[in-house]
Amino acid sequence: MASSPRSPPPAPTPEFEISRQSRLFAALSKKVIDLDELRMLAAQGVPDAAGVRATVWKLLLGYLPNDRSLWEQELAKKRAQYAAFKDEFLRNPVEISRQVQTEGHHNVNEEHVDNGFLHRSEVTREEHPLSLGKTSAWNQFFECSEIMEQIDRDVKRTHPDMHFFCGDSSFAKSNQESLKNVLLIFAKLNAGIRYVQGMNEILAPLFFVFRSDPDDKNAKFAEADSFFCFVELLSGFRDNFCQKLDNSAVGIRGTLAKLSQLVATYDGELQHHLEVTTEVNPQFYAFRWITLLLTQEFNFADIIHIWDTLLSDPDGPQNMLCDADPCPEAPLGRRFHLQPQAPAELPANEHQPPPLRRQQVAVSRSLLRLKHCCVCSAKAVAES
Amino acid sequence: MVLVLALGDLHIPHRAPDLPAKFKSMLVPGKIQHIICTGNLCIKEVHDYLKSLCPDLHITRGEYDEDARYPETKTLTIGQFKLGLCHGHQVVPWGDLDSLAMLQRQLDVDILVTGHTHQFKAYKHEGGVVINPGSATGAYSSITYDVNPSFVLMDIDGLRVVVYVYELIDGEVKVDKIDFKKTATMHA
Repeated sequence: MASSPRSPPPAPTPEFEISRQSRLFAALSKKVIDLDELRMLAAQGVPDAAGVRATVWKLLLGYLPNDRSLWEQELAKKRAQYAAFKDEFLRNPVEISRQVQTEGHHNVNEEHVDNGFLHRSEVTREEHPLSLGKTSAWNQFFECSEIMEQIDRDVKRTHPDMHFFCGDSSFAKSNQESLKNVLLIFAKLNAGIRYVQGMNEILAPLFFVFRSDPDDKNAKFAEADSFFCFVELLSGFRDNFCQKLDNSAVGIRGTLAKLSQLVATYDGELQHHLEVTTEVNPQFYAFRWITLLLTQEFNFADIIHIWDTLLSDPDGPQNMLCDADPCPEAPLGRRFHLQPQAPAELPANEHQPPPLRRQQVAVSRSLLRLKHCCVCSAKAVAES
Repeated sequence: MVLVLALGDLHIPHRAPDLPAKFKSMLVPGKIQHIICTGNLCIKEVHDYLKSLCPDLHITRGEYDEDARYPETKTLTIGQFKLGLCHGHQVVPWGDLDSLAMLQRQLDVDILVTGHTHQFKAYKHEGGVVINPGSATGAYSSITYDVNPSFVLMDIDGLRVVVYVYELIDGEVKVDKIDFKKTATMHA
């Protein structure tokens, strides 16, 4: 474990907390919300007690328009659209055949026929389970079964320590169902990237925040809302998930190269150490940070707070991770010297960064801390 | 949604060389959860082929089966339904409704699947359902030469079963379906 030479910063005064909360409320209660102001406030962290995180995230991701009067309309439209998607993509072929049957001729009620041959009805439109026809619902169902299995596996492994996501309670199960539905519909709508392992990790915080919205009317539609926000979030860096673009400038390698350069600008010694001395490829430590937006590096509560800051970047969260300028408080970074560790596995969570204190830090400092954690973990990796 | 394939009386290689091509193209692994076979395969190669379609395979002994280790009857529970399996040559008169009903009561099942007559039948009798999937290869039987290849696929979903009947008539695959629910009057 690293020794943290600085004493923890003083806890925030309650007045500071309240003033931040009230500023947030003020910003949100305007008729037309000023997104830049909201971004600035969000970057400092949204107080948990305020209970507005879901709304803030929806605004930051562009799901809700900044004109409050349009909210009802927009939400109704989007939620109806999602319901239509579900209907189209998630129907069980058994239900479809039942529907077809009731549309067609009405069968003799078997209960009244005690003995005798059971009534046979012809199967129309190739709707039988062994159908090989392209339009058959059964065939489509079987073709997707592989993706469904993969999604199912990954959803079951998402945050196994949290009651929200895992366990036998019907709440956990319904949350898992929702996650699966969102991922499956996304996969069906995006044949280019389908489902890639890791998407569940990006969806999880979104869904959690929306489902935990104190406003019940919104929490009910958490699945629909998180679908659209997930799409929005992914749109910025979906190229990272596309295998064919791996080696191009916009693919994951390009992004890693950018991060590498950032480290070089910020802490040349470290960069040298990584690239030359130990020859640690940025792929080994940064890949997960970037593609999963740090969801694997911190505990869940911290992730939510970090995402407050990440989502406040107008150019998208990835930009904040890779492109933002190094801060003038660079000398602080040098103080995080770590003891050389025994050879550790590359997964960066071997070294837990100091617990994040969201309240006290200004925008640049929280950013700085973020980068420190990234860089420190890399240091831990490198010095092992 | 559990898919159960019921078939039998293939009589390969003695009376038929193989399943009809149109049937074979539809039977692909990965879709079916269980296979129940009334018997008279007759050789190991057919057993292996069926095993490749689905690992959960249940077979009862027909009088021409070369593997003597298959049981005479078998019962299994799938979802809410109890299924019974028997080749049917043991039940005399062959294909007689009352005698089969007796077997059904003996096995205490909701759905009895038997073969031997090489004729597809599905009927409700005295509180139970009897399904005869016919002969999947269209092999001739002791009773008649005029046999259409047929087999049955059951979709068991809660208390409801949809039975899809696949028949090869004049070279074309014809699919029918039969729908029934488990009711209180059926064998509990």
